[in-house]
Amino acid sequence: MNDGKGLIFNIQKYAIHDGPGIRTSVFMKGCPLYCKWCSNPESQRAHPEIMTYDIRCISCHRCEEICPVNAISFNEKRRQIDWEKCDNCFKCSGECPSKAIERIGNYLTVDEVLNEVLADEIFYRNSGGGMTVSGGEPLLQWEFVAELCRKAKEKGIHTVLDTCGFASWNVMEKVLKHVDLVLFDVKHMAATKHKEGTGVDNELIMSNAGKTAALVRTWFRVPLIPGFNDSPEDIRKIAEFARSLHIEKVSLLPYHELGSSKYAKIGKTYSMDGLIPTDEEKLKTATAIFESHGLKVEKER
Amino acid sequence: MITAEELRKTLTIKGVRNVRRGMETKDDAERGMYRPEVRIGMERGRFLTESYKMTEGEPMVIRRAKALEHILRNMTIYIQDHECIVGNYAESPHDIFMPIDMTWRSFRRAVVEEDGKSLLDDKGKAELQELCRYWDGKSVRDIQVKAFEGCPQLDKYWQYEGTYLWSHWYGLGVPDYEKLLKIGLKGILAQIEERLQEIRNTIPYDYFQQKNFLEAAAMSIKAVIAWAHRYADKARELAGSEKNPQRKKELEAIAATCDRVPENPARTFQEALQSFYFVHCVTRQIEFVSTGIGIRFDLCMGPFYKKDIEAGRITRGDALDLLKRLWIKFEGQGFAYSQTLSGIYGGVQTLSAMNIGGVDRDGNDVTNEMTYLVLDTAKEMMTLQPNITLRIHKGTPTELFNRATDVIATGVGYPSLFNDEALVPLLQRWGSPLEEARDYAMAGCVYIEIPGKNGHRRMAGYFNLAKCLWWALHRGINPKTGEQYGAPTKDPATFKSIEEVMDAFLEQVRFFVHKMIQIEEVTRSVYEEYLPLPFLSAVTKGCIERGKDLGSFKDPNDGICNYAVAAGQANVADALAAIRKFVFDNKEISMKELIAVLDKNWAGNEVLHQKILTQAPKFGNNDDYVDQICNFVHCKTEEIIEEIADKYGARYHFDGSVVSTGYSLGADTPATPDGRRDGDELSDASLSPMIGRDVKGPTAVLASCAKIDPLKGYNQLLNQRFLPQFLKGANKDVFVNYLKSWRDLRIPHIQFNVVDSETLRDAQKHPEKYTNLVVRVAGYSAYFVDLSKGLQDSIISRTEQGF
Ligand code: SF4
Ligand code: SF4
Repeated sequence: MNDGKGLIFNIQKYAIHDGPGIRTSVFMKGCPLYCKWCSNPESQRAHPEIMTYDIRCISCHRCEEICPVNAISFNEKRRQIDWEKCDNCFKCSGECPSKAIERIGNYLTVDEVLNEVLADEIFYRNSGGGMTVSGGEPLLQWEFVAELCRKAKEKGIHTVLDTCGFASWNVMEKVLKHVDLVLFDVKHMAATKHKEGTGVDNELIMSNAGKTAALVRTWFRVPLIPGFNDSPEDIRKIAEFARSLHIEKVSLLPYHELGSSKYAKIGKTYSMDGLIPTDEEKLKTATAIFESHGLKVEKER
Repeated sequence: MITAEELRKTLTIKGVRNVRRGMETKDDAERGMYRPEVRIGMERGRFLTESYKMTEGEPMVIRRAKALEHILRNMTIYIQDHECIVGNYAESPHDIFMPIDMTWRSFRRAVVEEDGKSLLDDKGKAELQELCRYWDGKSVRDIQVKAFEGCPQLDKYWQYEGTYLWSHWYGLGVPDYEKLLKIGLKGILAQIEERLQEIRNTIPYDYFQQKNFLEAAAMSIKAVIAWAHRYADKARELAGSEKNPQRKKELEAIAATCDRVPENPARTFQEALQSFYFVHCVTRQIEFVSTGIGIRFDLCMGPFYKKDIEAGRITRGDALDLLKRLWIKFEGQGFAYSQTLSGIYGGVQTLSAMNIGGVDRDGNDVTNEMTYLVLDTAKEMMTLQPNITLRIHKGTPTELFNRATDVIATGVGYPSLFNDEALVPLLQRWGSPLEEARDYAMAGCVYIEIPGKNGHRRMAGYFNLAKCLWWALHRGINPKTGEQYGAPTKDPATFKSIEEVMDAFLEQVRFFVHKMIQIEEVTRSVYEEYLPLPFLSAVTKGCIERGKDLGSFKDPNDGICNYAVAAGQANVADALAAIRKFVFDNKEISMKELIAVLDKNWAGNEVLHQKILTQAPKFGNNDDYVDQICNFVHCKTEEIIEEIADKYGARYHFDGSVVSTGYSLGADTPATPDGRRDGDELSDASLSPMIGRDVKGPTAVLASCAKIDPLKGYNQLLNQRFLPQFLKGANKDVFVNYLKSWRDLRIPHIQFNVVDSETLRDAQKHPEKYTNLVVRVAGYSAYFVDLSKGLQDSIISRTEQGF
């Protein structure tokens, strides 16, 4: 795909919650799941797209003039996008002087990404950090990711893969060869519930989780979504599963509507509006359940 | 043990408010310069004046010694109920100190007519007027005016215009506390007597000057010893009528201590603290009115504490108790700032730094229990003064990093970290021998010193590099008046490359640096003649041996004799990068058009303004394009100032202690090509990226800073802003490792603003100023300003819960 380049929507420095130490997180664009609560909606589509920041707009009309399909118009001085019409030609984002329209997603070579990662090498050395490949779902671009991790390891960089586990084992195995630690996202143990929340069945994910844990050091990442998977019963099932696989650690991600404002910026609507963020009590209960199964728990806040 | 709350209750906070004309909000104007209970202490000025009247015609150094003696003998002394370490500089704990002998006009104006009205009652105002009548024509500033008279150049470039701020600000210099504690003032007195004997035999050509100086030094030492005994008497008197047996014991201990020190060598921890505080108080607030501490506290005090512990004389708790009581004394100090200076020192009481950590003269790590006691005291007291500076080197124990992080995490803003790996070699390059370079310390906020070495009046002013670039874009001509004020550099319309812009910029820097230093040098001669400091000299290395006041020589081995504080480095770098990219690389706009837009403060070309803000490379994002330019700005401007030496042959340097100058000099800097608007602030520290322009996170900032050559640059200042949760819990280790990487990158300095909800609320109101503020909430990071209001509110409330 694209001459061996990867589609990346963000490279985050000083990432300290995506594995041990100070890390650089490489976010791959495109995801086979559509989690309703996703806080990075711009990670979902497997192609570049535009993202808008109304607060930065100076109403210069340059985007309106340049858009070949007339997708941009002004309404009482505010710039509006007709998302149906837009075909992602990126003329507007190139023309906008104030980054009020930005292109999300760029095709980069392995070496370009690696150079960015290596810039912070001195921070990894003191902190035991490294590179985390996240997404989206990195395994959608498995060839790129495998090569990136291979080359990083060659340079002595510790590698972490953050995955939802929805990929053929064949592919996964090839990537895991170059990975030191896997952050495996687990959302729900019941197939129907899983499908309802993420759009896909969890059978493949469960089976990959087992194989992964047997092969590589693995942590679970569990988003606590109110009303979806935060009942003691749901938590207990995940905890049992984790224990059965001898998972080293579980990271809990309390739900926040942090990503909700991004939906409108890329022409999507947020379906979870009004959902109350995870409260301290729920978090404590979940922690206690995992700990009672002998698991180490980390809260990501 | 006394608690921080109990101590705080005794306190009058004397921070000055920023009231510089044109910058204050209406609210600030109504509040005045100081809190309502603050007063100016009048006794020092009163007794100084009395003594001056009696000694007219005598040698100046003798007059200064006699004046000191007169003040110390007659001033009110008091011991407050919570005190165990004693010493006061004015007649009441509400008083700030005022340098009437240095300069008085601006204070008088403030107190009689303007923002400082609450500082004195009518009687006090009348006395101040009376004293000022005497000093009219006699203060250093008045004499300086006379010195400048008839020289249009000096007259013109002395006036504040915005390119630099020169002021009658202080000479720092750190007393030789190690020697004081070791041999006591009596020991120093013996050295003076010995030297007097010696010159009576050798009769050097400057016999008369040496004799006067040495006799004055002896007189001032005796005066300080006698003053300490006054506290002993006072304590005994109070003990006599004290009902509470515990307080009675404390008072008796104070009496015994003050009878013993600073006259004699200190034997115990309490004696060492008391001796230090007495000498600090006299040298900083009574003999001369100044600021700063500069002691390497753990190095000096650690051994006394250890001895006491080993002898079973005190417990760790006792030591902590004493330290807290000492801390509150620093927090209670305050300086009378002029209205102009309040712009530079907004919110400042005094600038007093205590140093811990680092290597000793032999290169060994100095960390001891006192190092940790200082951090524990700071954490408990949460006072703004003393400000703690922590020296870091290869051998700094991880435990010290951890404990320092705990204090930084409170948001108090210190310890401020200095990097031995960068600064020791720098001081060596500047001429200090290795052992002395290893002994460096900060006296004020980040004013670098070598303790005990002659450091009087190092600072030559605050210098605005961004304004120099602006002059280079205007051929040194003020477009409003047509006056040729700066250097007559080439017409910018003819610039063919970025190098020509840089050349013109450097030419302006050279021009203005010379002007500023000329003013400083003439003024220093005035100080030398009219403001000798016999006591401070007696406790400073080299003065007794030479028979000279510290204003009259420079130690050839001292690497940091002279400096000027530079501001606007990142703005100049960003501006040059923008010019290079838009004018010379992309040819989107001509030099002439760009300057026309700047002169209209970007009006009419907001598109260009936005493009420069969003597309031109900015320092702090690990982008070589601009980082290399920034390195050039640092190294070349340092090279230029190093061309200049003082009359003793000691070179000038730049320095990064910008305080709040970025704000105040920015107010007088028109729009610059980095996207700044007319009057906007400059970057907040010499090594800091421009506020809001570093968008790639804290590692990219350090990577950019690491490209500024530490050996060709100077003593820097770097502010970083973190959210509290980045320093706590599981993240603490990560933060400590971040600090270790900072050390390994040989960046001279770093300090942290750990942001609280107040800042976040401000960020809601002014998102444009906080574009780089990252918040972490769930398994996800975001720029705070990109979030909806509701989410911002939720983050603010969670921050308040303190995770
Ligand atoms: S990206 Fe979409 S909105 Fe922008 S110019 Fe192209 S079609 Fe128009
Ligand atoms: S080009 Fe950018 S700034 Fe101009 S109107 Fe369009 S979105 Fe707004």
